[in-house]
Amino acid sequence: MENGDSKRSAIKQVASGRFGVTSWYLTNADEIQIKISQGAKPGEGGELPGAKVNKVIASVRHSTPGVGLISPPPHHDIYSIEDLAQLIFDLKNANPSARISVKLVSEVGVGTIAAGVAKGHADNILIAGASGGTGASPLTSIKHAGLPWELGIAETHQTLVMNDLRSRVRLQTDGQLKTGRDVAIACMLGAEEFGFATAPLITLGCIMMRKCHLNTCPVGIATQDEELRKKFKGKPEHVVNYLFMVAEECRTYMTELGFRTIEEMVGRCDMLEIDDAVDHWKAQGIDLTATLTPARKPHENVDVFCTIDQDHGLDEVLDNMLIEKSQKAIQKAEPVKIETEIQNIDRAFGTMLSHHVSKNNGSEGLPDNTIQIKCKGSAGQSLGAWLAHGITIEVEGDANDYVGKGLSGGRVIVYPDRNATFPAEENIITGNVALYGAIAGEVYFRGRAAERFCVRNSGAIAVVEGVGDHGCEYMTGGRAVILGPTGRNFAAGMSGGIAYVYDPEDQLLGNCNLELVELESVEELEDISELKEMVESHSNYTKSEVAKRILDNWHDELPHFTKVIPIDYKRALKELAEEQKSAK
Amino acid sequence: MGKPTGFKEYKRQTPSDRDPALRILDWEELHTHMPTEELQTQGARCMNCGVPFCHTGEMIANMAAGCPVNNLIPEWNDLIYNNRWKEALDRLHKTNNFPEFTGRVCPAPCEGSCVLGIIEPPVTIKNIECSIIDHGFEQGWVNPEIPETRTDKTVAIVGSGPAGLAAAAQLNKAGHTVTVYERADRIGGLLMYGIPNMKLDKKKIVERRVALLKEAGINFLTNTEIGKDIQADELKEKFDAVILCTGATRPRDLPIPGRELKGVHFAMEFLHANTKSLLDSNLEDGNYINAKNKNVIVIGGGDTGNDCLGTSLRHGCKSLVNFEIVPQPPNERTDNNPWPQWPKVFRVDYGHEESATKFGEDPREFEISTVEFLDDGNGNLKGLKACKVDWSKPQKGGAPFSPVEGSEITYDADLVLLAMGFLGPESPVAEQLGVELDPRSNYKAEHEHFTTNVEGVFAAGDCRRGQSLIVWAINEGRGVARECDRFLMKETSLP
Repeated sequence: MENGDSKRSAIKQVASGRFGVTSWYLTNADEIQIKISQGAKPGEGGELPGAKVNKVIASVRHSTPGVGLISPPPHHDIYSIEDLAQLIFDLKNANPSARISVKLVSEVGVGTIAAGVAKGHADNILIAGASGGTGASPLTSIKHAGLPWELGIAETHQTLVMNDLRSRVRLQTDGQLKTGRDVAIACMLGAEEFGFATAPLITLGCIMMRKCHLNTCPVGIATQDEELRKKFKGKPEHVVNYLFMVAEECRTYMTELGFRTIEEMVGRCDMLEIDDAVDHWKAQGIDLTATLTPARKPHENVDVFCTIDQDHGLDEVLDNMLIEKSQKAIQKAEPVKIETEIQNIDRAFGTMLSHHVSKNNGSEGLPDNTIQIKCKGSAGQSLGAWLAHGITIEVEGDANDYVGKGLSGGRVIVYPDRNATFPAEENIITGNVALYGAIAGEVYFRGRAAERFCVRNSGAIAVVEGVGDHGCEYMTGGRAVILGPTGRNFAAGMSGGIAYVYDPEDQLLGNCNLELVELESVEELEDISELKEMVESHSNYTKSEVAKRILDNWHDELPHFTKVIPIDYKRALKELAEEQKSAK
Repeated sequence: MGKPTGFKEYKRQTPSDRDPALRILDWEELHTHMPTEELQTQGARCMNCGVPFCHTGEMIANMAAGCPVNNLIPEWNDLIYNNRWKEALDRLHKTNNFPEFTGRVCPAPCEGSCVLGIIEPPVTIKNIECSIIDHGFEQGWVNPEIPETRTDKTVAIVGSGPAGLAAAAQLNKAGHTVTVYERADRIGGLLMYGIPNMKLDKKKIVERRVALLKEAGINFLTNTEIGKDIQADELKEKFDAVILCTGATRPRDLPIPGRELKGVHFAMEFLHANTKSLLDSNLEDGNYINAKNKNVIVIGGGDTGNDCLGTSLRHGCKSLVNFEIVPQPPNERTDNNPWPQWPKVFRVDYGHEESATKFGEDPREFEISTVEFLDDGNGNLKGLKACKVDWSKPQKGGAPFSPVEGSEITYDADLVLLAMGFLGPESPVAEQLGVELDPRSNYKAEHEHFTTNVEGVFAAGDCRRGQSLIVWAINEGRGVARECDRFLMKETSLP
């Protein structure tokens, strides 16, 4: 910016909604944090009412103004610790220079989870406490949910040391840390990094109005209102000054305790004792012995703070070859064609390449089809995750889970081996959670997809020949064309985008979750041409027989299509069209 | 907060006071009301802050921040916006026995700590308070609170200022039989004879409330000075409890040459006599110190000094000067006086405004100290000698300022009024009862407990705290009532 400031924020969060998580977004980060849960509202998702989704917010979140957004409670691509390891790997590919952090909340058993996360190659584990981040949490959660960070950090540290995993991760904690004393205690319980939010905000002028959700923040912090933003009086120096004082106070405790460095102090909970002077009836039944027990080392040479970098195995990914061969495209936007074999250990194919494309070419990526990659075989998980614009990946064979996760403008085409004898449309060609959090781009599957297809799709176009359960859940934009059967709970929580389902046997009504959407026949001229175009593309790219059959009998087949559209989205589109009309 | 965006849409507006040129011709109140619709938009400016300070009544840097009686300000702001006046009045009376007094004469620390004040002029809390109670009286919603049952306990309250009245109202509500003793001829203490009529109307406002309290069953005895007309120990024997609310009535003197001259008076002598004469005879009996055609100098720049200015102007003084020893405050908060502290800024009160209207300039002289009163040869005051002071050079072990050499200046003056604050209570009552004094010569009792060293004797208000605001007096009056009730009944439900 003009005054030398940077708009780039160092830490980027990846939450369950994946709103706005593109290749470009991830590329511009020093740390990427996977938010598994939040200290103030563990286990809860989020909801942004339509009235608050104005044009700015909608553009950041790649959604439609005026339409409400739902962040699901879980990450739909994480149902197990292996899934989390996969996400860590994907994100590391999306930006190899960024640390990957996993945010957990303090709870009983968090140590076990953290051990899994450390084994899943997270660089950083954050244990969030109950009293943090309360601005937008429901009152019930603020009051009644969550545990203090002290319990979580102590358990996590002890578990990690016991399993000799502590040396591989940095432990961070947050949740109303405010003073040097808090830092010293957190450190002695096992943390080596400390997060602050409320207190620095207050140094910048936050007055805890608790109006963050109303766009009326009178000191211009939690608002996009130009008039109110003028009232902002904070300066970076205020935060710097505050943190210096926190550090200074922490030093006084360190000198008293005889520690020279933070490393020396990590995990030294033997230096803590219970203050007998705290005489509160609620404190009477509390036994802190377990919390204050020093971690047991399995053998002498166990380090109790981070000394070893995680090995993410990035040297071995196929993308290194892609990047090398694509230099002309990345540097000069000259077309490149690559052919390669692929097997199921080649995970996150195209992701690191996309990182380089985004880094060099910005959020727009490259012109369409600049890099064309054709592979043969069985693609590993996360094929084309965060694939940037200008890259086309064609796979002859099949694909695993998470195809096109966070798709950022690229194109993925998957069809069975040309010599295969089975009918493609009756067999599964791709695994679960395809297109989770996709932002833009196109995907064509000649065959069926498994469960959770197009969950949280924000804008990609997808054509497939049948899906499993929970298709198009929480979708907020884009198009899904399903040329075959759907599973149960179709379109649950879907607040945007349109799905066209080929349903000659009238099964959709029974499978669709009608809470937010309505079904109608495809009658509008615009819809018909849009649908036809997508089916034609599908036919061209994949040589799909289903597509060919439908196109050959277009007039007879068209009535078999059902349009699934969210009610609110339809209203918003109508308003938008009227606005544009009146603008003219 | 009826409207989240209210503070963005509406500007602060208070009803304009009556025209200064006209209002100095009479003794009627200067306050006016604004139309209901406009007042509602002012209520909408309240932001329903997550962490409000307006109602806190905390002492920060020795100054009140937020309302000392913890008025439920955000609640009634919202009720006013929603046109629910009766409920607003109920909420207001929950914490404040006499909103019609504070709504007129409180300096409004609530507004000083209003969160909106960080970015814009604060919500007009004081004016909204005043409007709620005045509207309540108009509608006939304010009625005497007669207790359903009486206890057999009796309480004597010495002094009928705001602390005494608040204590009486609360104890009466709890069913005790309360007798209030007042040495002046009218009930009200400083409310009656301290504050001039134009700021707080005696007949329409003060006596209206006193009448309500009488109807509620409180006994008032005027012209009865405890320690003189009735001995204090006699009182203690006769009643189950005694509450001292005698106020801080000893004025700070200025012991310099010429102090004994005719024409040098304490402000309270001047104000008291004036209001008494005004009420007795509309100033026709001549029993007051008249400033007409005199050169008047008021020494002391506080509220009392300002009241002296307003009163002198209404008499028709020839000239008017107001001495203030401290430097002129800045127009905006300084860095060491941040929100939510009481803002130490330059203010123009009604007396200053009126003087400026009449004589063309603000009457205040800052950083000035009086050195000597001048004799006309017959023991009458003819002027005074003063000098400038320098606050950057404190004297060792003495005043925090020193006189500027060669800055001596002489003023003509026929009347000098000393409004330099008060030192503490007069002590005969305490002596007779054996009540201990604190180092500042106030009756010794802890805030929130209010018990003196003598069992059954309580102290509250300025006589315990030292000179302070009316809201603090009401706070202490309510507090002492609670503690007294606890003492009498072993438990209490008073707030």
